[in-house]
Amino acid sequence: MSIDNPPTIEVDQPEEPTNRPAADHRLKEWLSRGYVRRIIALSIVIGLLIIPLAWVVIHFMNLSGAPASAIMVEIERTMFVFTVVSAPLMAITLAILFYSLTGWGRVTGEDPPMQESPAIRTNGTAVVLWIAATSILAGFLVIWGLVELATITSYANGSTPANQQPNGQKAIDINVTGQQWVWTFQYPDQGAVTSDTLIVPINVPLYFNVTSKDVVHDFWVVELGIKIDANPGAITNTGVTPDKLGTFNIRCAELCGLHHAYMQTKIQVVTQAEFDAWVREMGGKRTV
Amino acid sequence: MTDTAVVHQTHDVPQPKQHGKPGGILRHTSIVTGTALGLVAAIVTYAIGSHFFVPWGTTNADASQVGLNALVAATYFAWVIFFMIGIGAFAGPIRWALGHDLTHDDAEYMAGKDQGKWRYWKYTTDHKVVGTQYLIMAMFLLGLGGLLAMLIRTELGITWAEVFDPNFYNSLIGTHGIVMIIALIIVVTGPFGNFILPIMIGARDMAFPRLNALSFWLLFAAIPPLASNLFLGGIRDGWTVYQPLASQAPIGMIGYQVTIIVFAFSTGVASVNLITTSVTMRARGMTWNRVPIFVIGVIASSVMGLVWFPMFQYSQMLALSDKVIATSFYNPIMGGSVWLYENLFWLLGHPEVYVVVIPGTAALMELMVVFLRKPLFSYKVAIAGFAGVVGISSIVWVHHMYMTGWAPSAGYPFMLSTELISIPFGFLVLVMLGTLWRGKPWTRLPMMCVYAVIWDKVVGGITGVYLSDVPVDQYMHGSMFVVAHFHYMLMGAGLFAAIGATAYWFPKMTGRMLDERLGSIGFWVAFFGFQLTFGSMFVAGLQGMPRRVLQFDNAFNISNWLSTVGAYTIGIGMLIFLYAVITSWRSGKPSGSNPWGGKTLEWQTETPVPLENFPVLPVVTSDPYGYGVPDPYDAVLEADKQPAGVA
Ligand code: HEM
Ligand SMILES: [Cu+2]
Ligand SMILES: [Cu+2]
Repeated sequence: MSIDNPPTIEVDQPEEPTNRPAADHRLKEWLSRGYVRRIIALSIVIGLLIIPLAWVVIHFMNLSGAPASAIMVEIERTMFVFTVVSAPLMAITLAILFYSLTGWGRVTGEDPPMQESPAIRTNGTAVVLWIAATSILAGFLVIWGLVELATITSYANGSTPANQQPNGQKAIDINVTGQQWVWTFQYPDQGAVTSDTLIVPINVPLYFNVTSKDVVHDFWVVELGIKIDANPGAITNTGVTPDKLGTFNIRCAELCGLHHAYMQTKIQVVTQAEFDAWVREMGGKRTV
Repeated sequence: MTDTAVVHQTHDVPQPKQHGKPGGILRHTSIVTGTALGLVAAIVTYAIGSHFFVPWGTTNADASQVGLNALVAATYFAWVIFFMIGIGAFAGPIRWALGHDLTHDDAEYMAGKDQGKWRYWKYTTDHKVVGTQYLIMAMFLLGLGGLLAMLIRTELGITWAEVFDPNFYNSLIGTHGIVMIIALIIVVTGPFGNFILPIMIGARDMAFPRLNALSFWLLFAAIPPLASNLFLGGIRDGWTVYQPLASQAPIGMIGYQVTIIVFAFSTGVASVNLITTSVTMRARGMTWNRVPIFVIGVIASSVMGLVWFPMFQYSQMLALSDKVIATSFYNPIMGGSVWLYENLFWLLGHPEVYVVVIPGTAALMELMVVFLRKPLFSYKVAIAGFAGVVGISSIVWVHHMYMTGWAPSAGYPFMLSTELISIPFGFLVLVMLGTLWRGKPWTRLPMMCVYAVIWDKVVGGITGVYLSDVPVDQYMHGSMFVVAHFHYMLMGAGLFAAIGATAYWFPKMTGRMLDERLGSIGFWVAFFGFQLTFGSMFVAGLQGMPRRVLQFDNAFNISNWLSTVGAYTIGIGMLIFLYAVITSWRSGKPSGSNPWGGKTLEWQTETPVPLENFPVLPVVTSDPYGYGVPDPYDAVLEADKQPAGVA
């Protein structure tokens, strides 16, 4: 047994040769290696296959009518940009992964291979480049995210994309109450009209005061891209300005018991005139 | 040179007096006495307690509910405590109290000497026995969780009808979730951290062999309260059991709380043991630069478990207290806070993901060098990666609460920390890619798991980047997209790595080779089924399907059908793999002591591994990654020749 004398190996790197060729020469030599070229080619192909995913993702998100607000537009833009900017790193990773399966040869069979691979313990250039690339990518994603978050927060507070300033219109306050397993919407400004579907005028900022009578629910207006928990004993807020006519989905996005699956309703975005008519019909007073 | 915790007979040290036969009372205790005593105690507690706790017939429903809750909690705890007494967990302290020190013969008896297979059913301290017990337990839990997953997917695949009662469906989800979480927490550090790690560092056992047995049997005792849920109304609230929904839950919820409280003790004890063992019991010469990377991974994961698991435990202790003594930590009407619960829960809930992923990743790093016959690429970057992940993952938990409305401006700092974690995570990817680079893989099953896991990590990592972004999460949170994402991390990266580790260390643990053909068929069937299941679940999420629902818009039908087909495929693959494991364990090809030609210490000792692992303790003179030949290109470059015709 070899345990008394385990195989010894040199941990230290061999000395750098003094007559090291110049960097540009080494790079050229490296790029001329067959496997390097093939991996670069493979990365490009995989990258080109990944980028269309950005559109596929948006396509699925839009199947039921999104985007119906500036917030949802920003969300989709973020998905798109994130997919595209992460494509190169993803492509390189997958290219090395696939290439390694056979590209440098492979061994099958029962017994441990006799042939050893090159003893590459590390490579300073590769490490530095990789860390730089991932850090730049992460830094970009963070900055993008922070800016986007500020943007959608201002939209939620009634700003519009054109100048990112409040558009002067008074927001309609809506009190949203979750309760096992229905949503109730109350319009305090319209004379306390109450409804179980959300009817709202287009291009008018909405401001939601969300709460719950029992457990935690989550108010998700799918195609408008807003979501906030409805908590018992607290009021949470969010807002949006719908900019597309139509009927969209409201779903509960927090497990709330027996009929959570059925805790859905619709939001109907209508014209101002239709909205006023609806309010009158419900016995409320006209919007100011 | 530290000595191991197993007592050695040295002639000049007077031995303590032997009281009775070696092992004493432990000769008579086993899982049988434990279960019997536990059940009797539970029944007695219930019977006696129902006279004191529960004001039966009272008109005040709340009071009687609280009484009943207290009764059930007491019953569960009686089971746990008396099971542990019955199996002999407290024999050691009692003997010390009586002044009876452990003799060498006692210690050997407790380590399972000459007890044959029966030692697996006893309070045995040998780390190899504990490791095997953990492996069986993990497989049992995965089987249970997998069965529940099949039922979930059946419901979701039959889009035109409600197959199950919604309450039952909800409890399927909750039970599947928590069972799988527990299974994945133990699936690498349990079997391989216990069985392999001490041998790998050249020790005779763990630092605290009796604590090792304690951690396993606590886990064992924690499972019945969880399983009994299915008969007491189930865990209907998801594995997260958010408040105050959980306080409406049927009585079985107490089982969940008891299980988590006990399981947290089990992981705490196990983590302390693994860390101490790795720090103090390494063979002579195994400096920190020569420690196998798997050991580093286990330390990293244990540190996280040790620090953060208590949060989960507290969250459930407070929840239990709300139930059994009517406190109101989480009851908003009485001044409590649901956000308090959510914070406590996710303080563990997030690091938990890395508790699962890190040891699996480290195991793959350990094995890939063997199959590539190449050194690990940038050992130090790997360590930095683990350290970075451990550090940053402690400060990201609020990304699970972006949409709670708790603190909208917390989105900014926590988005920052969450996205930064991709940098150290990237280190780990770099190490794996660098090791693959120019290697000639020996394409056996363990190695193929490396490829599978890197693929899953790419998918899970990229989708995680979406989710860490607050605006995107505003769409994705609570949707099927999240479910698909975390399955890529937990199952795709965690479970498949555990399969790789199992295939790799199987010969050492059982003395037999895992059937390569059957095992691979099972693995690949499961892998492709997995891509189909969760690939199409991404689509359902993008379309806006919420999670934890049993009925949904027709728009989501197609992706759910595909997902269910994929899930059954996983099920078939896993059954094939399980069959391969069982048949190989019983009658596989004998493996010899080092079938893969590995250089870490566990391969240098005999198989089956003798009771104290090594006849003579090894001395280490290098790290275990001394594979490979000098790079031919270096010679080319040095001569400064034109690199003609190299490939
Ligand atoms: C056979 C493979 C599996 C399938 C088909 C599967 C399927 C599912 C499904 C359909 C859900 C419910 C999603 C929802 O509606 O919210 C779910 C939840 C979950 N699964 Fe799996 N799963 C599998 C394996 C695993 C594994 C290996 C883990 C390991 C960690 C795991 C952990 C979880 C967790 C934590 C949840 C969340 C439960 C909750 O929402 O409280 N699953 N799974
Ligand atoms: Cu709900
Ligand atoms: Cu997290």
